Amino acid sequence: MINFDNAATSFPKPESVKNAVLTAFSKYGGNPGRSGHKLSMQTAMAVYNARNICADFFGSQIENVIFTHNCTHALNFAIKGLLSDGGHVIISDLEHNSVARPVFSLSSKKDCSFDIAKTSENDNITIYNFEKLIKSDTKAIVCTIASNVTGQILPFKKIGEICKRHGICFIADGAQACGIIPLKLSDGINILCTSGHKGLFGTTGTGLMITDGKFPLSPIIEGGTGSSSFSLEQPDFLPDRFESGTVNTVGVLSLGAGISFVNKIGINKIFAHEKKLCDMFIKGISPIKGIKIYRKPYCNYVPIVSFNIDGFSPEELAKALSDKGFALRGGLHCAPLAHKTIGSAPEGTVRFAPSLFNTEEQVYAIVKTLKQIKK
Amino acid sequence: MAASSFYLIALTSITYAIKAQNLLKSMGYYCEIQRTPKELATGCGYSIRVKGDIRSILKILENASIKQNGFIETGGKI
Repeated sequence: MINFDNAATSFPKPESVKNAVLTAFSKYGGNPGRSGHKLSMQTAMAVYNARNICADFFGSQIENVIFTHNCTHALNFAIKGLLSDGGHVIISDLEHNSVARPVFSLSSKKDCSFDIAKTSENDNITIYNFEKLIKSDTKAIVCTIASNVTGQILPFKKIGEICKRHGICFIADGAQACGIIPLKLSDGINILCTSGHKGLFGTTGTGLMITDGKFPLSPIIEGGTGSSSFSLEQPDFLPDRFESGTVNTVGVLSLGAGISFVNKIGINKIFAHEKKLCDMFIKGISPIKGIKIYRKPYCNYVPIVSFNIDGFSPEELAKALSDKGFALRGGLHCAPLAHKTIGSAPEGTVRFAPSLFNTEEQVYAIVKTLKQIKK
Repeated sequence: MAASSFYLIALTSITYAIKAQNLLKSMGYYCEIQRTPKELATGCGYSIRVKGDIRSILKILENASIKQNGFIETGGKI
């Protein structure tokens, strides 16, 4: 099976990640931060080192790196933690349900509301559309850095600037951007949420919430942290405030190894390779009669291509490709807002999402297969 | 306080304990992590055992925004 569904989770993983998982199982079997014995302390040190890799990668203080189960988990922490006592937020019309559902759910509560900013291929219009929705009780802009449906990159640095100017929080969903384009908190992001298992190459079940600490959050999960245990109050210091329960040591160490791999290869090299594959794919499928490719000429994209072919539903086309040995996702990609925006609702699209491990030969092969399927 | 005694400094978490250890070791201090004894604080937690001028060490921690929850002077050897 050739995997072009790396926007869902990257596969295969680097050898170094596999080795980190094996090492975690064979060596780091203690519960980090819970005991003073060597097994616990060695594991705590390994988790700290992984946390440090994440902090360096995104330019944060080490204690402000929170390990989560996935990006959705991180976004729930950030959104619900910030709006615990009400407020207004602005999201984009390209959001994944990991942003849209928590925000929608909160809007049924007293004093919580949200608006949706219309995005454009013109960044200035996008920025204008966000800024005009800011109200006196607006607490945050919550938006994706890159759409998981089309790959469109939003002008996140400019969004960070307007948040700073208005004294509101910028919560960024970096699930499709981290490990693909360079990102730092210094880009104007107050809270960066991401999965750990996509462009960062960790195992599934990993995610990150990284904060600059300027906007305090209420915890939505409380429990044992191995610290201040005599108190019934959740600790007020990070990362413990948001890391109740035993951390996913195996996943955390895989994530540290994954980010180290990205550093070793170089993020620009990864992006260039995947972009090249996307460009080849687009060029290859463009002549197919009835093809619809969801890209606009003046936008920047992460390496994702959404498309449809007349006569096939996205699920049917994905199934036909699967039968021929290609893994691509068809449907809504958990992002109904984005499909309404690009005109592919209610059925969605088929999504081509290569990784560093895909080859040009594999792209030629899927293009040839698509042409055969359409015949 | 002796200028170069051993001290146990209680910290808030394992993350801060390792951060403090890395920082102090990089500056040439002896520093080991251990569980916080009941004489120093109640509840679970980690301390660093350090050797040196306590005022200087506490200042280093403060400058690095590493909160401490008290300290005691201890005996012992490295």
